[in-house]
Amino acid sequence: MKVTFKEWNAVATWRWDMPDDDVCGICRVQFDGTCPTCKFPGDDCALLLGKCGHSFHMHCLMTWIQQEASKGLCPMCRQKFEWKGNEEDGNATQNTQDITQDTTQDIQA
Amino acid sequence: MFAGKRLSKELAKMQGHLPPGITFAKSDNLEEWQMDIRVLDDNPLYQNQIYRLKFTFSQKYPIEPPEVQFISLPASHETPRPIPIHPHIYSNGIICLDLLSTAGWSPVQTVESVCMSIQSMLTANTRDERPPGDSDFVSYNKRRPRDINFQYDDDNV
Repeated sequence: MKVTFKEWNAVATWRWDMPDDDVCGICRVQFDGTCPTCKFPGDDCALLLGKCGHSFHMHCLMTWIQQEASKGLCPMCRQKFEWKGNEEDGNATQNTQDITQDTTQDIQA
Repeated sequence: MFAGKRLSKELAKMQGHLPPGITFAKSDNLEEWQMDIRVLDDNPLYQNQIYRLKFTFSQKYPIEPPEVQFISLPASHETPRPIPIHPHIYSNGIICLDLLSTAGWSPVQTVESVCMSIQSMLTANTRDERPPGDSDFVSYNKRRPRDINFQYDDDNV
């Protein structure tokens, strides 16, 4: 017997590599859930992993960092918030000022 | 939007469990909550007394701090609530505490953590006094607590 595939649909799931019950300290929603400003979780609602060991939804952290009163500090430990980038790209770290600029460009673009 | 979702999360968590000495009193809406706190040790200044805290949240909570102050209910009330005596608490209920100011606030604080800080601020106090200038402040202050520039000059209490 010969079988011919006429059509197929690939399905995959993914999740953040975070403990199940871990929540974003700012919005108190699980990392796998979406931040309060987004409708759907996923690539558009990324997480930021801080060098200090504290993580947040990117949108939640940006809302905080854009406040003058935040002074660019991590809400948990009050050290300067610097995020762990993709080490393989050679961008080992990027500080929040760079992120702010990137975000601004995105909005303008 | 941000505030509403975060507050519903906190409310749901509080209905399950709160630390000893802290109870939820009421919230008519999501913008204003009242919490009752009492001191757990035998500090004679606060023994057998329950105090009422009023939280007012802006749309930007928890990016902006809530406004938190003690409120009093008269002795004739079903649940009387005085204003606790403390060198950082004015007799109108306004609290001088840096974590409640824009400069000292962090968005990871919650209603529960703020209550615990205020509870420990009472527990640690031994001074039976009001802040300096209390009567003038209470008579003339028309500003909202977060607009007052307190000087956090006393780290001892």
